[in-house]
Amino acid sequence: MSHARHGVGAWIGWAFFADLVSALALTFGYMFSRSVTMQYPDKEKWLPYPRYRGHHFLTRDDEGEIKCVACELCARICPCDCIEVIPYEDDKGSRHPAKFEIDMARCLFCGLCEDACPADAIALGQQYEFSSFSSRDLVVGREDLLGKPGKARTGGGVVAARLNTEQDVLVETSERRGYNWWRNIRRT
Amino acid sequence: MELIVALGLIAFKVALLIAILLLLPLPLTWLERKIAGRMQQRMGPMRVGWHGLLQPVADGIKLLTKEDHIPAEADRFLFKLAPILALTPPFVVFVAIPFGETVSVLGAEITLYVSNMNVALLFVFAVIGLEVYGVIFGGWAANSKYAVLGSLRTCAQMISYEIPMGFAVIGVVMLAQSMSLLEIVRAQADVWNVVYQPVGFFVFFVAGLAEAQRIPFDLAEAEGDLGAGFHTEYSGIRFAFFMVSEYAIVLLVSVLVVILFFGGWNGMLVPLPPLLWFLLKVAFFVYLFIWFRFTFPRYRYDQLMAIGWKVLLPLSMANIIITGIAFL
Repeated sequence: MSHARHGVGAWIGWAFFADLVSALALTFGYMFSRSVTMQYPDKEKWLPYPRYRGHHFLTRDDEGEIKCVACELCARICPCDCIEVIPYEDDKGSRHPAKFEIDMARCLFCGLCEDACPADAIALGQQYEFSSFSSRDLVVGREDLLGKPGKARTGGGVVAARLNTEQDVLVETSERRGYNWWRNIRRT
Repeated sequence: MELIVALGLIAFKVALLIAILLLLPLPLTWLERKIAGRMQQRMGPMRVGWHGLLQPVADGIKLLTKEDHIPAEADRFLFKLAPILALTPPFVVFVAIPFGETVSVLGAEITLYVSNMNVALLFVFAVIGLEVYGVIFGGWAANSKYAVLGSLRTCAQMISYEIPMGFAVIGVVMLAQSMSLLEIVRAQADVWNVVYQPVGFFVFFVAGLAEAQRIPFDLAEAEGDLGAGFHTEYSGIRFAFFMVSEYAIVLLVSVLVVILFFGGWNGMLVPLPPLLWFLLKVAFFVYLFIWFRFTFPRYRYDQLMAIGWKVLLPLSMANIIITGIAFL
């Protein structure tokens, strides 16, 4: 209704439902477009971008020693008190955590621990599939945290999902700039 | 002996028809969801069976095993009666619908219709009119605001659109000089009725959309404002009855459009078996129903009434008059 009708042609079009026909043509065209659905648990899954805040991980330095100096700043700044750090002193006299536990059930993934860390030891990585039947299992210790995957490098790609029900899985990690959500959508 | 064979044949045809109509929602729901998905750039059901082919079966099992809930304040008798009343007429109508002339099976000529009534068209409209009882009883018996509003709307809609629908076919009856669907199809052997009766076809199809309560005329079960309309309170197998009846009516309207306006099983250009021609045409119209559903928004209630009384009714009457003058 926003466009004023001009001329006889427009009125003929109106009488023969030109607008309805163009709507039908549009939906018919979309019927043959590629779907944007990602078949997540079955086939493929989305790779998070580098800034994604997923499961925490702890890093090691070049000598393979844990970077964390057990300053407990992360535990202090954590808004939901989900980090528990108990320090110890090793033979060389440097401070490291004897116990480093994160309760993932309480964590709200704000990333403040990452900001507060003076040693770049803790960060929020790319893993997001860690649901569990028991909240006890969500309390993650030091050794587990050291083994968690780090930040994503490329991001936005599509990789094989963990739960594979079918073998032929789409892999599009080569796409540097990420998954283009708009590639199938026509914009006029 | 001949009588027994004839009776057996009729019983077999009726059983086959019932089986087909009862099983038809399975492929149709799958198709509808798939087409909807494609049109919205989704995939539709993908997880049960190959490309979700077994999804309707899973849904059917789910509906069968769900709790059959009857609201405490409901009129229990009418509540139980309504799904059956809604389901029966679309099935009964198919008795009068021909699917072709004859096929020869094992040397015997078998007609592709249960009965060739000479007033088949009248029978079809009479029985289809009964369908509204199921909807009204269902809405009334549930004792729920949404259901009552939905059934009131349906009642008004059905009555409004039955009139232009009935008028629209009069042109066809004039052309064929018969109310038998078989004769109507035979009369279209050379030229399909849609060539002579484009307005009649238009009115019939739009009224058919309203009669089947499909978008853009699905006021009865407008999800946005009425919950689910007249079957808000139904669950389990009784709800499934309403769904089966809806799909049967979609098929019925498609079949009627093909028989009345698109030459039935008369082919064109490509020599295919008549039954195949018929099924192809019907499939096209069923697709059209689904296509419309995922293209158009719903009409407002006053617009629905305005279209019925102010557009379709005068159009169908003008159609009758012009056809009559052309015959004189």
